[in-house]
Amino acid sequence: MAAQELNSPAYPEGDALKGQIANRHLVGTVWRSIFLGATIVAIIALVALVYNVVDESFGLVAVQNDVEPEALVRAFFNDELLNSRNTFASENDDELAAALADDPYAIGFFGYAYYRENQDSLRTLRVNGIEPNAETAENGRYLLARPLFIYTAQNIVRQNPAVSLFTNYYLTYVSQEIESVGYFPASESSIAAARQSWIQADGIEVGLGQWPVINPAGAGGQINIVGSSTVYPITQRMVDKFEAAGFAGQINIQVVGTSAGLRALCIDGTADIANASRAIKPAEFEACRSIGRLPVEMRVGTDALAVVVSRANSFLNNVTDDQLREIFTTAETWAEVDPDWPNEPIKRYIPGADSGTLDFFTEVIFDEELSNLPKDTLVEILADSISLGLGRRLEREQRFYADRLVFESQEVWDEVCAGPEPPTGCTLGERSSYNVYELVLERVVNPDVKLTWTLTDSLLRRADIELEMQRQFPNAHLQFRAWLTPDFIVSPQSSTPEFAGVRTAILGTLWVVLITIAFSFPVGVSAAIYLEEYAQDNWLNRLFQTNINNLAGVPSIIYGMLGLAIFVRALEAFTSGAVFGQVEANTTANGRTILSAGLTLGLLILPIIIINAQEAIRAVPSSLRQASYGIGATKWQTVWYHVLPNALPGILTGTILALSRAIGETAPLVVVGASTFITIDPSGPFSKFTVLPIQIYQWTSRPQAEFRNIAAAAILVLLALLLTLNATAVLLRNKYSKQLT
Amino acid sequence: MSTPFFSNGDYAIEMRNGNIYYGNFRAVRNINLQLKARQITALIGPSGCGKSTVLRAFNRMNDLVPTSRLEGEVLFQGKNIYEKDVDPVEVRRRIGMVFQKPNPFPKSIYENVAWGAKINGFKGNMDELVEQSLRQAALWDEVKDKLKQSGLSLSGGQQQRLCIARTIAVKPEIILMDEPASALDPIATLRIEELIQTLKEKYTIIIVTHNMQQAARASDYTAFFNMDEDRAGYLVEYGRTNDIFTNPQNELTEQYITGRFG
Repeated sequence: MAAQELNSPAYPEGDALKGQIANRHLVGTVWRSIFLGATIVAIIALVALVYNVVDESFGLVAVQNDVEPEALVRAFFNDELLNSRNTFASENDDELAAALADDPYAIGFFGYAYYRENQDSLRTLRVNGIEPNAETAENGRYLLARPLFIYTAQNIVRQNPAVSLFTNYYLTYVSQEIESVGYFPASESSIAAARQSWIQADGIEVGLGQWPVINPAGAGGQINIVGSSTVYPITQRMVDKFEAAGFAGQINIQVVGTSAGLRALCIDGTADIANASRAIKPAEFEACRSIGRLPVEMRVGTDALAVVVSRANSFLNNVTDDQLREIFTTAETWAEVDPDWPNEPIKRYIPGADSGTLDFFTEVIFDEELSNLPKDTLVEILADSISLGLGRRLEREQRFYADRLVFESQEVWDEVCAGPEPPTGCTLGERSSYNVYELVLERVVNPDVKLTWTLTDSLLRRADIELEMQRQFPNAHLQFRAWLTPDFIVSPQSSTPEFAGVRTAILGTLWVVLITIAFSFPVGVSAAIYLEEYAQDNWLNRLFQTNINNLAGVPSIIYGMLGLAIFVRALEAFTSGAVFGQVEANTTANGRTILSAGLTLGLLILPIIIINAQEAIRAVPSSLRQASYGIGATKWQTVWYHVLPNALPGILTGTILALSRAIGETAPLVVVGASTFITIDPSGPFSKFTVLPIQIYQWTSRPQAEFRNIAAAAILVLLALLLTLNATAVLLRNKYSKQLT
Repeated sequence: MSTPFFSNGDYAIEMRNGNIYYGNFRAVRNINLQLKARQITALIGPSGCGKSTVLRAFNRMNDLVPTSRLEGEVLFQGKNIYEKDVDPVEVRRRIGMVFQKPNPFPKSIYENVAWGAKINGFKGNMDELVEQSLRQAALWDEVKDKLKQSGLSLSGGQQQRLCIARTIAVKPEIILMDEPASALDPIATLRIEELIQTLKEKYTIIIVTHNMQQAARASDYTAFFNMDEDRAGYLVEYGRTNDIFTNPQNELTEQYITGRFG
C-alpha cells in the first residue's frame, strides 16, 4: 500500500519536484525580504528619532559675554601687582629705569626699547632660560613677546594706489625705524616673505631682486588704518615719514584693538589696513575672503617686554614664569622665592595700569581661569558689578561669608532673621567659592547664547559656522555646549534658556506618576482578578469586558475632559486639598493639582492595566489552579497564593508599559490644567505642577532657538526616564520568572 | 450492570445513578459504582468514555467547569458530597488528587508539601510532616538535601512523586489519580506503580489509566467504561481485576482488553 502511494502520479517527481520545492522556498524568501524591509524601516525610524534629539541637544553655540572673564582675571592680577608691597608704578618709563638703576634689590619690566636706552645701568633677565633678542622674540621662544603685523587685502592693494604705495614704503623702511620705536625688527626672511606677499597681491611684475620705485612725492588718496595699540607707534612713525616724503593724501589711524581692526578690514570693509598684535584667525581669514578681500599678511616686527634689574644686582640672571608670579605679587623678600637669593625685600617697579604693557605682562604670566580666583576676589567682582538690591537678595538667599555681611547691614539682617519668615540665608551656611564663581558667571560675565548649531553642523561645517558667527556676532566666541548637563536636570524652570532646567518638571512627573500608580494599579489588578476569576459569564459582565476593551482605545484628550469635569470641577474640594485643610498658601491651583492629574492619568491607563492583568492571569496554567484546588485550597487561596504570584511578572510588565504611556501623555494634562511655567517644586499631591512632556511642548513653541535645544535635552531626559522604567520592568519580570522555575 | 459485591460499609465511596452533564451534553450516564476501601481501583476504557469525568466527580473537581453538573449521588462516609451544605473544599481535603501531568507549585520542594498542610490548618510539626510525606512518596532520599530548591527542578517522575507527597501531606482518605504515569518514561512509571502499591496500605486509590498492563498489574479492581451512540459514557463491567482480565463477562470488555478496539 505504501509503495503504491509513492508511485502515485499525483505528486511531482524528478525535476518537477525540485522545481516545486524551489518555488516554495522562493515564496519564503520573498516574505523574508518583506519582513526584513519592515524591520529596517522600524530601525531607521528609531535611529532618526534618537539622532534628531541628540543632534539638537549638543553642538556649538556662539556665546557673547557682557564682560570677558579674561578681562576680570586681568583686572584682578593688575590690581594684585599694583597693590603689592614695595611696588612703584609709573606711566613714565624713565622714572622706572632711573629708580631701578640705583637699587640692587629692585626688579621691573617694561618695553624692550626702554631697556635698550638704559643698557648702561640695567640688564635684562632670561625668562625660562631664554635671552630676549630679535630672534627668540620673533620665533616665540621668549615668553614675553608678541608679533606685530599689518594686514591688508589683495584687491585693496590693487584698487587703492595709496595703499599699495604706503605698504611698499612701510615694508621697505620699517626695519630702519622700528628699533627707535622700541620693538625688535622682523628678521630679513620675514620681511622678504612679506614683500613677496605684497608683490603677489599687487600683481606688479618685477625682475628678480628688483623692487618697484617708491616715490610718495605728489601721490594722493586716502588710507584708513585701524587696529592694535601695540602696532600703532611704528605705524604712526611710518605714516609720519611717508607724509614727510611728500605724500599729499590723507591717512587716518584709529586705535581700537587687534580684533576690532581685523573686523573693520574683514567684515565691515571700512579699513584698508589693520594693525594686529597677533596672527589672523582662520575664521577672520574666511570672513575676509567671503567679502572678496583676500588678506595679505605682513610681519613688521616683534614687541617684547624686558624683565630688568640693576647692573648692581649680582644674583639674578634667570627667572621662571612661576618665579615671576611670586616676585611681582606675594613674595616679600628674594629669599622667599629662592633660598639662594639674598634675604632682602623685593622692590618692584612696574608700568602703570593705563599702559598696555602691564596688561600684556599679566596676560602672559598670570594666565588663570576665572574659576581659580580666590573667593574674596569673586565676591569683590560681584559687589562691583551688581546692584545693591540684587546683592541683598542674593545674600538673603545664602550668605557670602559666615562671619561678615557684604551687601546687608547687620541691624537689618538681625531684624529680618528675627522676623516671622526668615530667609534661607539666616540658616544656611556660607556660599562656596564655586557658588560665588557661578554667580559671577551668571550676573557679571552673563554669557548670552546668540546662535546655536546642531551637532551634525558643528562637526561637519565648523568653518562656515565660524564665519557666520564672525559676521553676525564678532564679539562672541564659539564653544561646544551640551544642553543636557547635570545642571539642566537639577535647575528649575527659567525664562533664560541657558539657565533653565527640568527639575520642576521631573518632580512633577514623578509625583503625578506616583498618584497614577497608587490609583490605577490596585484598582486595575483587582478588576482584572474579579473579571477573570469571579465574574460569571453573563451579558452584564460581557458588557463590562467589551467596554473596558473599548476604553483602552479612547483618545486621551477625552480622559482630559473627564478629568476636568470630575476631578478639577466636581471634586474640587477634595482634589484641591480643601477637605483636608491642605490648600497651599498663595496657590491658584484650586482643583488643578497633581492629585487631579494623577487620577486622570490613572483613569487613562486603567483599561490597559486591566487588560494586561487579565491576559497575565489567563496565562497562568489551569494545572496550577487544579493542583491548588486538589489539596483543598479555597478559591481565594488559589488566587492569592498561586494565580497572582504567577501572573505578577505579566501584570507588572503591563503596568509599567501603561505607566510609560502615562509619563508621555500631554493632552489630558493640558486640559486638566498643568502649568506651563512654574518654578516652584511641587511639594505634595495638592501642588500646582508641570510635567516633562508639557515642559517640552511649551519649550518647542518658544521662538528662541535655544529653547529648541533644551526641549531636545528634555526629551533625552524623558527617554532616559522611560528607558529606566522599562528596564525596571524587564528586571522585575526576570526576577519573578526566575523564582518560578 | 454490576451487582454490589461489597458488604455495606466496606466501600470508601459510592456513586449512585450518576449522570454528569457539561451544559446540555450528557458526558456519562447512570453510573453506579462502589469502591472498596484501601484497595486500588482502575478505571479503564477508550478515549472519551468519561472515566476521567467520573474520577473528577469523586472530589467535585468538575465544579471548576462552570457548566458542569451532576445528577445522582456520590456517597462518601454515608453522605452525598453534592448536597448543598457540603463544601467542596472539605471534600477535596479528604479526597486528594494527582493529575496526568506533574504539576508541582513553582515553589520549593518543602513548600510544595507544606503548603496544603498550612492552608488546611495543620498544627503539628511541619518538618516532620514534610519528611514523612516525602518518605511515603519514596522521594525523601532523593530530595532531602535540596528541600529549598524549586519543585520544578526535579525530573518528571520525581515531580509526580512530589505531587503525590503533596497530596498525602493533607492526610486524605482517598487519592484520585488521573493517568499519573502517562507523561513519564517506563522506569519512572514503574516506580509510581510500586509507590501506589505501598500507598494502598493507608489510602483508597482510584486510578484512571490507558495502560492495560498497568491496570492488570497495579489494581485490585477494574471498572471498564464505554461510550454509547450519544457519546455518553457508561459503565460496562466492574469487578476484581483478575476476573475482568481473565474472565470478562461482557464481550465489549473482552474485545477492549485484548486490544481489538479502543
